[in-house]
Amino acid sequence: MIGIIERRNFKEFDWLLFILAISIVCFGIWQIYNAQPTENYWQKQIIGLIIAVLVALIVSLIDYRTLIHFAPVFYVIGLVLLILVLTPLGVRVKGQQAWLKLPLIGQFQPSEFVKIPVVLMLARYFGERKGIQPLTLKETLVGVAILAVPISLILLEPDAGQALTYFPLLAVVIFLSAIRIRWIVLSLVAVLILAPVGFYIGVKTGKIKQYQIERINVILDPENADPRGYGYHTFQSIITVGQGGVTGIKGDTEKSQSALKFLPEPHTDFIFAVTAENTGFLGCVSLLLAYALLLSRLIMGAKFSPDRAGMLVIMAFVGGMTFQIFINIGMALGILPVIGVPLPLMSAGLSSILSTFIAIGFVLSVRMRRFVNY
Amino acid sequence: MVNDYSQNLPARIATIKIVAYVLLLILGARVFYLQIIKGDYYKERAENQRIKLIPIPAPRGSILDRYGRILVDSRPSYNIVFASEQIKFINPFEKVDDYARGLKVDKQYLIERLNLIKKQPGFETMIIKENATLEDIAWVEAHSLEFPELQVEVRPQRNYPYGEVLAHVLGYVGEVSPKQLEKPEYADLKPGDIVGKFGLEQYYDKYLRGIPGYRKVLVDSRGRIQAELEVIEPQPGQDLVTTIDLDLQLAAEAELARSVTKRGTIIAMDPNNGEILALASSPSFDPNVFVKGISTPEGRKKIAEYYKDENRPLLNRAIQGRYHPGSTWKIPLGVAGLQQNAITVKDSRLLCGGGITIGNKFTRCMGNHGVPPLDYAITKSCDGYFYRLGLKLGVDGIIKMVEEFEYDKPTGIDLPNEKASRTPKYWKPYVEKREGKWSDIRTVFASIGQDTVEATPISMLRAIAAIGVQGKMYVPHLMKEIKEIGAVGAFPAKPGLTYEIPEPKVIKMTEEQEALVLKGLWGVVNAGGTASRIRIPGFDIAGKTGTAQNAPLGTKGPKDHAWFVSFAPAYKPEIAVMAIIENAGFGAQHAAPAVRGVYDAYLRKYHPELVQGQQLAKDNSKNNL
Repeated sequence: MIGIIERRNFKEFDWLLFILAISIVCFGIWQIYNAQPTENYWQKQIIGLIIAVLVALIVSLIDYRTLIHFAPVFYVIGLVLLILVLTPLGVRVKGQQAWLKLPLIGQFQPSEFVKIPVVLMLARYFGERKGIQPLTLKETLVGVAILAVPISLILLEPDAGQALTYFPLLAVVIFLSAIRIRWIVLSLVAVLILAPVGFYIGVKTGKIKQYQIERINVILDPENADPRGYGYHTFQSIITVGQGGVTGIKGDTEKSQSALKFLPEPHTDFIFAVTAENTGFLGCVSLLLAYALLLSRLIMGAKFSPDRAGMLVIMAFVGGMTFQIFINIGMALGILPVIGVPLPLMSAGLSSILSTFIAIGFVLSVRMRRFVNY
Repeated sequence: MVNDYSQNLPARIATIKIVAYVLLLILGARVFYLQIIKGDYYKERAENQRIKLIPIPAPRGSILDRYGRILVDSRPSYNIVFASEQIKFINPFEKVDDYARGLKVDKQYLIERLNLIKKQPGFETMIIKENATLEDIAWVEAHSLEFPELQVEVRPQRNYPYGEVLAHVLGYVGEVSPKQLEKPEYADLKPGDIVGKFGLEQYYDKYLRGIPGYRKVLVDSRGRIQAELEVIEPQPGQDLVTTIDLDLQLAAEAELARSVTKRGTIIAMDPNNGEILALASSPSFDPNVFVKGISTPEGRKKIAEYYKDENRPLLNRAIQGRYHPGSTWKIPLGVAGLQQNAITVKDSRLLCGGGITIGNKFTRCMGNHGVPPLDYAITKSCDGYFYRLGLKLGVDGIIKMVEEFEYDKPTGIDLPNEKASRTPKYWKPYVEKREGKWSDIRTVFASIGQDTVEATPISMLRAIAAIGVQGKMYVPHLMKEIKEIGAVGAFPAKPGLTYEIPEPKVIKMTEEQEALVLKGLWGVVNAGGTASRIRIPGFDIAGKTGTAQNAPLGTKGPKDHAWFVSFAPAYKPEIAVMAIIENAGFGAQHAAPAVRGVYDAYLRKYHPELVQGQQLAKDNSKNNL
């Protein structure tokens, strides 16, 4: 691989993006400590950050076009990992077989990483488009196929939350690939109609489980959630966020909803509630602004991309990240049902932080090659 | 650069950017709503779920006799409780079998208790087994991981060392009922709190109860205590000193115990102020059963038996029983004759005639007493005399007497649920409605305490005892003093309280009138009257026997109730004693000796010099301890 590392121009290295991402993770480590002060998750996260930073630097040194070129290889490796998860090599946690335990490497979550080859595959296929002709049905179907295989495997785990995070990747790529506006409008209308109808049919036929219905009902009326049920988590999260007030409780364990175990999974799924509790409105707004800045920085990188494929990769990551941020925080704020999706850069978890930094490394790589001729 | 490839690519990228910002803005707005607008509300919600107040029950005040001897106290007991906090997380009904087996309690009882906790969400903890043994405590602690909802709690428990003795006066305690909780006087209580349910425990509950303290603790989501933030010590209840003399009480209980039917009541009172010295009602019940037995199958069976028993052990016969007073009624009637000028001191003679004919029906007297004066008619209990006196007064005169002696209302004794007597005043409207008019025969019966006259024992004692003290009818009472209690922490000291004797109702009699009636009463015991056999030389008892018929005249029915109402010494009374023995027969034969037993105990204690060489009733007071 040394051969494909080219001369690079570090003047073009996007330090702001890189430091911003690291800062958010550091802020996250503080919150992970607040969430579970007696556990070692925050220490693990520091190690994860160091590894992730190194990996991001390495990825940034590689020409992204080489990576896109080898996308099918990564894609196949990814699928193999997703299949391995379903074998006895996979680890079962809380009814989900989403983890893979391999010798030397350790335990990780392939569904987090497979997003990268999926994005690369999409970029490779749609990046070759020329001209301004509208997207064809065939092209769309190929895109759907690229997505469908890993999603099917993830749904077998089953991890509906992770599967959901794949959709925005394709949506963004298709949107930027000259799909006709009328199709967008049509599909939006279709979703608005089909989602409630599908939900209704799902409830009637029993395909949608009682606990899933409850997760949705609780959004409408969080105060009266069954404390033994799933809705309770949403309400506890709302209380946790609300009690933060303007400046937060600043790590006071006698008040902490997470230390007193009212809040479930405080270091992963509900890390935003912990942030809100400890740093208050000021901390929340700072974090949201940091995300906004990060996203705008990524989008700027996309605009400067020397080619279409690079632009598509970055924008797909932007779409995926925005979607995850919205789903995760929306859940913590009780406006979306409970879906187990980590908050990018904040939630504890090596797989999540590493895959995000690989993507950032990729963006850095694109940015550094903006004036390279092609 | 990249615009070549797509339809208006920069605009599409800008659209994605705007969508991302809008989504972040939505999140920001929601955070603003939750933290800034509703922040205080959620702060409170969070605090309410992590801070719990665990009550520390206040020990109830003790109840003492007039000499400070303990009649009721509280001692610590270990209870197995169910923490209601946990009910949110588990379904306790699935575990009932385990609880029942481990704690050896009735499964049905557990289900009842758990249902109660569901209905009354205010429960902090629900006792599921009282008086836990070491074995029970060990079992709970060994299963603390499996059943975190079970906890061991120390609570003061009421203890009645004398069991059935004085039970009707003392009463018992129990968990406050949902109905009581709705009343303003119980406003500061929560479900599960202990209150007086009967007797003095109920009447003076406010003073005896005390103020519970609490531990303010930090709990986690499972209700497990993480830290103790504050402890407020409880303020114990105030002690109640009663007017009861335990020695006389034991003597009264002993007399009832050896009576023929073992059913009846004995009351001893100080006629000079209304202090009740003894009040026994038989059959009785054991208050400990209500306190300790409520959670055991045997205890619950026993309580159910108390309620079902046709001898009605839970009835306080002294204040809730209504009996025809029989001849004891002749005393107020005689006074009324004098007051209403139907007779005079100078000429109180009326014909006995061996009876009287009303219409075509002859109602007889027990003997033939010629034309006796009032005192002799009382001494010999001449029915014929009082038939004629009653007719002279008429039913309206009798009703006037009822009002004068306050038979139309409860005496006001400091016990809950006292009944008022029923007299012609009460029955007349009913009789007139049903029979068209009040007939003379009813007047005749009413003048010897039969038919439309049903008096409570306490009201008869109060009325007759007044004859010895210039007609002063004091309000009978049991409270002598409520002791003060010092300040505890934030709770201020509560001052003591002594019973303020209300102005007595005075029966208006001239000295001569009083002397005449008193002479009759004195004669009953001391001048060959109906109760001569209980005479004590040197301690003149004045009294009146009564034999109340329970069956219509001329028919066979349950035996008569025996009455004796008295005070002594006749001309300077210190004590008034009465007895009713149900279905025993003649008052002179059954009730008078029972009263004598109490006088003997009184003399032994207060006038030992009079006891010398006398044939007193056996000292029974120690047998009952």
